[in-house]
Amino acid sequence: MRTVTFLPSYRKIEVVRGTTILDAAQRAGLNMNVVCGGQGKCGKCVVYIQSGKTEFDAQKYGRFFTAEELSKGACLACETLVQGDLQVMVPESTLIQEQKILIEGEDNPIDFRPSVKKYFVELHPPTLGDPSPDLSRLLWGIQKSGGPEAEKMYVPLEVLREIPSILRHSDWKVTATIGLVPGGYRCIDLQENDTSGRVYGAAVDLGSTTVVVYLWDLVSGKVVGVASNYNKQISCGEDILARVNYARKNGLTRLQTLATESINSAITSACNTAGIDRDDIYEVVVAGNTVMTHMLLGIDPAYMIAEPYVPVVRRALSVAASRIGIACNPNGGLFAFPAVSDFIGGDIIADILACGMAERDEISLLIDIGTNFEVVLGNKEWMFSCAGAAGPALEGGEVLFGMRANPGAIEKITIDAGTLNPKFTTINNIKPRGICGSGLIDLLAELLETCVIDRTGRINTEIDNPRIRKINHFPEFVIAWAKETDINKDIVITENDIKNLIMSKASIHAACVTLMKEAGISRHEISTIYFAGAFGNYLDKKNATTIGLIPEIEINQIHNLGNGAVVGANIALVNRRVRKQLDEIAHKIGYIELNAENAFMDEYTSSSFLPHTDLTLFPEVQKMLETCRLRKG
Amino acid sequence: MTHDLSFGWTGTIGEVTLGATRDDGGTRSTSYRIGGGTTLPFLKNAPASPTPLIAFEICDNPDFWSPIIRNYCGDLVNSTTDWAKAATSDYQADLVKLHLTSTKVRNFSDIASVQKTVEAVLSATSLPLIIEGSNEPKIDSEVFLKCGEAGEGERLLLGTAEAGRYRSIAAAALAYNHSIIAQSPIDINLAKQLNILLREIGVQRDHIVIDPYTGSLGYGFEYSYSAMERIRFSALKGDTDLAMPMICSAADTLTIKEVREADPASIDDVAVAWEFYTGVAAAVAGAEIICVRHPKTIGLLREAFAGMKTSSTAAEVP
Repeated sequence: MRTVTFLPSYRKIEVVRGTTILDAAQRAGLNMNVVCGGQGKCGKCVVYIQSGKTEFDAQKYGRFFTAEELSKGACLACETLVQGDLQVMVPESTLIQEQKILIEGEDNPIDFRPSVKKYFVELHPPTLGDPSPDLSRLLWGIQKSGGPEAEKMYVPLEVLREIPSILRHSDWKVTATIGLVPGGYRCIDLQENDTSGRVYGAAVDLGSTTVVVYLWDLVSGKVVGVASNYNKQISCGEDILARVNYARKNGLTRLQTLATESINSAITSACNTAGIDRDDIYEVVVAGNTVMTHMLLGIDPAYMIAEPYVPVVRRALSVAASRIGIACNPNGGLFAFPAVSDFIGGDIIADILACGMAERDEISLLIDIGTNFEVVLGNKEWMFSCAGAAGPALEGGEVLFGMRANPGAIEKITIDAGTLNPKFTTINNIKPRGICGSGLIDLLAELLETCVIDRTGRINTEIDNPRIRKINHFPEFVIAWAKETDINKDIVITENDIKNLIMSKASIHAACVTLMKEAGISRHEISTIYFAGAFGNYLDKKNATTIGLIPEIEINQIHNLGNGAVVGANIALVNRRVRKQLDEIAHKIGYIELNAENAFMDEYTSSSFLPHTDLTLFPEVQKMLETCRLRKG
Repeated sequence: MTHDLSFGWTGTIGEVTLGATRDDGGTRSTSYRIGGGTTLPFLKNAPASPTPLIAFEICDNPDFWSPIIRNYCGDLVNSTTDWAKAATSDYQADLVKLHLTSTKVRNFSDIASVQKTVEAVLSATSLPLIIEGSNEPKIDSEVFLKCGEAGEGERLLLGTAEAGRYRSIAAAALAYNHSIIAQSPIDINLAKQLNILLREIGVQRDHIVIDPYTGSLGYGFEYSYSAMERIRFSALKGDTDLAMPMICSAADTLTIKEVREADPASIDDVAVAWEFYTGVAAAVAGAEIICVRHPKTIGLLREAFAGMKTSSTAAEVP
């Protein structure tokens, strides 16, 4: 074994010779930035070897480093093998940084009908005159205390084995935990004495980036703890595709373990906050996208990422939580949300549940934006859905100074029409380091309104202003001068950045229109638009409409659902009736494959304009832009 | 069998005036008002549409021109003015389209020559003039301004505006009251977007002619045809941002393999046939101006248009 010590935190880990430093770091609990999934492609997992023997092909990966960096021992953690005891310096930039994670869902009065209940029973000990077996004695006792009928309860062997000793040891005063399962009632647990006040459940949003857990007291119907952390699978690849590829190469076990570890550490910290025992959690409800759910359950997702994109399972699943390693009561159950397709997963079903669109006559449009986007249109009678790639631009990728919603990201911005001087706020109010998605949408709308860019996003370089300039013939707009920033560089947006942003917004809008055409409705028939996911929460609704990201409807009819996935998971956790409806909802949703839709490309081109080629679709935006143009002269 | 050709269209193609006669303050012998159609051309039992105009393309540096044309036209190609005269009197074109290929020479900077060439061609021909300017963003602005200035009062048609470069040509057109060719790569949405961009910087609809980009027959013309058809249908259905006349120049025709590698003895016939069929098809799709490079194509097209032309009177329908 070799000891690897990670600096500056002095975390130590013992590994066998030949292990990659990335693997060692992951086992030491360091979350490194591995965009490519550890394939030596992205050059993000930079570490510096301070001492010790390693194996690294500096020639092959030299392009990621300067000569000076190499001389200081720089290498890629994923491509460097441990040969001897090591001291490895991990720069801050290599670690995944704290991100604005969305925990709060929309406040919704929740109908409280939990599926797990505890019954405290005091039984008469058996006598020669009353020699009925322990089990029937217990079940009758439960029935008499208001529980389900004795014959309808099933007791698994694991609990049965414990019954005689617990009954006698506790002097016939016990608490039984009864859960409602698909086949009827099940006795999940038996404890000594009265523990009937301690029954908890966890609602989990298993996102590909973050995991959020809500801990519920299933007796009082209150949230007792909330926690979130990164999905540790990020160390195996930032996006889903990279992770599935990782699984194909290295097997699914590691990803399955990381998924449960991510959930477990969030559950643990929520339990610590609430001061409760993990063993008192009897139920865990997980809403995750289709690939995440497959990985969590240890089902091979390999066939989902290639045509014809078929998942292994789409219906809701109930399994014993312990079988997949979830840290809760060993007899606790786990409920995983159903999916519609590879791309419309349990997280979207949870969004639908959260916004209630499946219960209303009015038509709603639900949009979940990330690197991929999902759109659902419909009401209680019908629903259509589709998904596609929005490209990374809205999350700050493929944009020169784009960044995730980390501290220092410009998140809101306005531009003065006269001076073209921007006013912005950054996350944590520190000097700007870059721009995140919500800032980019503001920027696009403001540049359009101030006529800096035309409707195709081209910068008008004839405007005489120092902020508009050309670098090597490429026009750009300066948002912040070097001296105002935290990075000592002018923060700019280039014409190319704008083009990428327009491509992203066009694909989302085109998807909305494709569903509307499929359903044969116009934008006037959409009563509400819901934004789900972190992104929706921070973006400016008016600006999102101005650039034509979404169809134009009344601004006050656009709602941010927040983290709809966790809201949906909460609802399903505390209301057993809802769980039954989920499969119905999932089955009702028609999935439109955009790749197979000829009209989509046409809609895309027509959406690749600000706000849209068909200006009649955006009458209010059009009016506003006309005014802006007239004011400019 | 007769088809019901009442489509219920309500739109009309906008009219664009090309060339200015003395009465209008110019020096042209004639001027054209193109557009104005309310249906597709050459339909029986429907209001007659004006016959498409034929523009003959010449250039001021024949190095950039097809050898087929250089061989056929001979010495003419070395004198832009003689060539323009021939286009008018010998070839009987409706319009002359001058390509300023001289500006394609690397590091071209002799902007003054542009003005001289335009002036010379304007005096050599009395036909309305289309000018295809530079293709280099760096000199666009100066070239277009010089063209515009030299042709002031003549209502030129200036080409070519694209989504990526339209400001300088629009500035020249606005300053000297010329019209603009707006070219987009075979896509109805991109065509419309460019028209909106031009409108928003002040170019009036009646100063825009759409160039949908014309692929050569067998080399993508079917896409051009389909885009033109969609553009025209949208216009006739009332989309004013697409209700402009169209211009087609299937210049690629002379460089395709079948034409380039044709038997020298019949190379002119092959070139003319290819240009002719592409031109006829473009006219059927609704183009108001067909541009050709081979002189022999002009007569054939004229004959074909006359043959296809139908009367608007219902009496003639069998």
